[in-house]
Amino acid sequence: MATSLNDMMQTVPQWSDYIRILPEIVLSLFGMAVMMLDAVMDESKSQKALGAVALIGAFGAIGATLYQAQYPFGYGFWEMVRVDAFSIFFHFIVAAVTAVVILASFEYMEVQRIRAGEYYGLILFGAVGMSLMSSAVELVLIFIALEISSIATYILAGFRRRSATSSESSLKYFLLGSFATAFFLYGVALMFGATGSTSIFAISRSLESGNISLLAYAGLAFMFVGLGFKVAAAPFHVWTPDVYEGAPSPVVAFMSTAPKAAVFAVLLRVIFEINSPVPTRMWLIWIVAALSMTIGNIAALVQNNVKRLLAYSSIAHAGYILVAFAALPSSGIPAAMFYTAAYAAMNVGAFAVISHFGGEGERYVTMEDYAGLGKRSPLLAVTLTIFLLSLIGIPATGGFFAKFYVFSAALQANLVGLVIIGVLNSAIGAYYYLRIIVAMYMHEPKQEAPVAPIPMGAGLALAISVVVTIYLGVIPGRVLNYAQQSVSELTPVGQVVSLQAPHAVEARMATNVKKALAH
Amino acid sequence: MNVIAFYIAAAIAVLTTVLVITRKNAVQALLYLAVSLISVAVIFYDLGAPFMAALEVIIYAGSIIVLFIFVVMMLNLGKRATEAESKLLHARMWIGPIILAGILIAELAYLLAQGNTRVGAAHVIPPRDVGLALYRPYLLGVEISSMLLMGALVGAYHLGWHKQRKPETQDANREHATSPDAGRGPVRTGSGRTVGAP
Repeated sequence: MATSLNDMMQTVPQWSDYIRILPEIVLSLFGMAVMMLDAVMDESKSQKALGAVALIGAFGAIGATLYQAQYPFGYGFWEMVRVDAFSIFFHFIVAAVTAVVILASFEYMEVQRIRAGEYYGLILFGAVGMSLMSSAVELVLIFIALEISSIATYILAGFRRRSATSSESSLKYFLLGSFATAFFLYGVALMFGATGSTSIFAISRSLESGNISLLAYAGLAFMFVGLGFKVAAAPFHVWTPDVYEGAPSPVVAFMSTAPKAAVFAVLLRVIFEINSPVPTRMWLIWIVAALSMTIGNIAALVQNNVKRLLAYSSIAHAGYILVAFAALPSSGIPAAMFYTAAYAAMNVGAFAVISHFGGEGERYVTMEDYAGLGKRSPLLAVTLTIFLLSLIGIPATGGFFAKFYVFSAALQANLVGLVIIGVLNSAIGAYYYLRIIVAMYMHEPKQEAPVAPIPMGAGLALAISVVVTIYLGVIPGRVLNYAQQSVSELTPVGQVVSLQAPHAVEARMATNVKKALAH
Repeated sequence: MNVIAFYIAAAIAVLTTVLVITRKNAVQALLYLAVSLISVAVIFYDLGAPFMAALEVIIYAGSIIVLFIFVVMMLNLGKRATEAESKLLHARMWIGPIILAGILIAELAYLLAQGNTRVGAAHVIPPRDVGLALYRPYLLGVEISSMLLMGALVGAYHLGWHKQRKPETQDANREHATSPDAGRGPVRTGSGRTVGAP
């Protein structure tokens, strides 16, 4: 794990450094290729072609991630990024979600008359940031990656420019999101003031060695606020329903899963690395988790718009994932990772159904519109039912094992109160998901016209989501094992890291240069 | 590091920032913002980071704020704007920022004249160290910032984009209307905005 002296002395990035950021490189190149092609191709013909290029880019990122998994793990770029099983897990989620969302957008673009060039470009650029977030171990780099991902999603949220709600969604997300990012940055600055470093491992070491100043606590709290906003955890969740309601459905599928997975990766690293010497971290996360679950589920009960309902459900699910954060690292980290993967599969699927059913201008989004869907389009109804059952946590779906692992991790950490709140919330949650299912199968349809047949792109996206959701619910072992294995490869909590922090490298390099100049 | 100088500059920074968000007149708020940024630059200088202080002045106070002020002053065309602009010449508008900036100049002159203030700072960071940090450990950060700018650029392009309607291709455009703006109404001459745009 310790880098050799040779690495310390390096003045230019080595080949291995580039492999550590291979998925980001692939995504960036394809993002730029999409923009270039958009400029030279005839607009009336280019839309599908650009989507195909973007799709190749996303699959290229999956390939790059698999290649990284074969390559020896370690640090890159002067210990700015760290590739290990943990970051590969999240790289994979981000790249896979990107690919499925691009597939689901293929026909949506035409139906909504959205210009494809910028859309696919921004999705790929956003994925660069999310991917980098999950492997970065330096707070400044994490901040830049967070901004890349945020700016892309702000714009994507307002992509249906003819719709006022879409513009409202974009503006609201932008203003509140910038505010939250400022909180994160302020936290980083305070943490730097308290410990003299922005490297996660150096901060962790510095906090272990001495008594922890108030500044460090404040820094950690600010960072938690900033990241909590991005994952829509409870006191910072107010933006979620409005933004999800107005944003184009494939974009909601994207922004409710990929950036969230990446930010959860950052939170896991920050909380379990930096916060490890602080035994009292529990109560803060405890409160946020309980609030998110309760507020999300109770507010979802009264929603009539399916997109808003799923927005509140997404707040609740952020709460379930945070339950794992309050647990012990050995069981909490794999539980949170598994939950993130399962949630990505089922939520992308649910929003893919919504985006197809919505039609032009996303007109059909209320509970009444979904009435009788079982008769009008049995296939669409069955698919949505699978995702909703998984969101409830019915056995044989990914959602079941996700909840199971999270709650058992919390029980191991003796958080009985939190588990009781969580289980009660799951019961409340079942009510509103079942409401949609009941409407689809038991209510008479408002209009008899059959729904447009599922086109190929959306169909593929749905098929992938269904397969993954059921795979995680039937054979969860492999994914869970990988998550557990990745924990042992994270720096063990409490162990003094034998690494040189970036600023140490920097100081050494400065002396080298001084020597060279003296000659 | 001169502690008194630090507190004076810090107080001015806080005061002007509060004034920025409370002033109703945009130009006046921007003048205060410029002073706020300059006071931060003075703090940087006092802390032993003269290069950062220079960057702060050149990039923020120098280019960004001046751009803001130009845009704000040029946006409001017409009679009302001319009246508003003549108000800018009132002493009431600029006396506050001028006084605060004067204090900062005096402070900076004092720090420069004293010369040895840097002895108190932990250590002075010369530009070379900044460059080394940027192109060695933070290389990836610098390069990935370009992706951030790229994303923002694409976003700005998308928000500012509207269908170019040349007379001869107008019908062709309408036929395969793939743009969100198609069929939205004519472009107002000379304004560069579609009707109904905010």
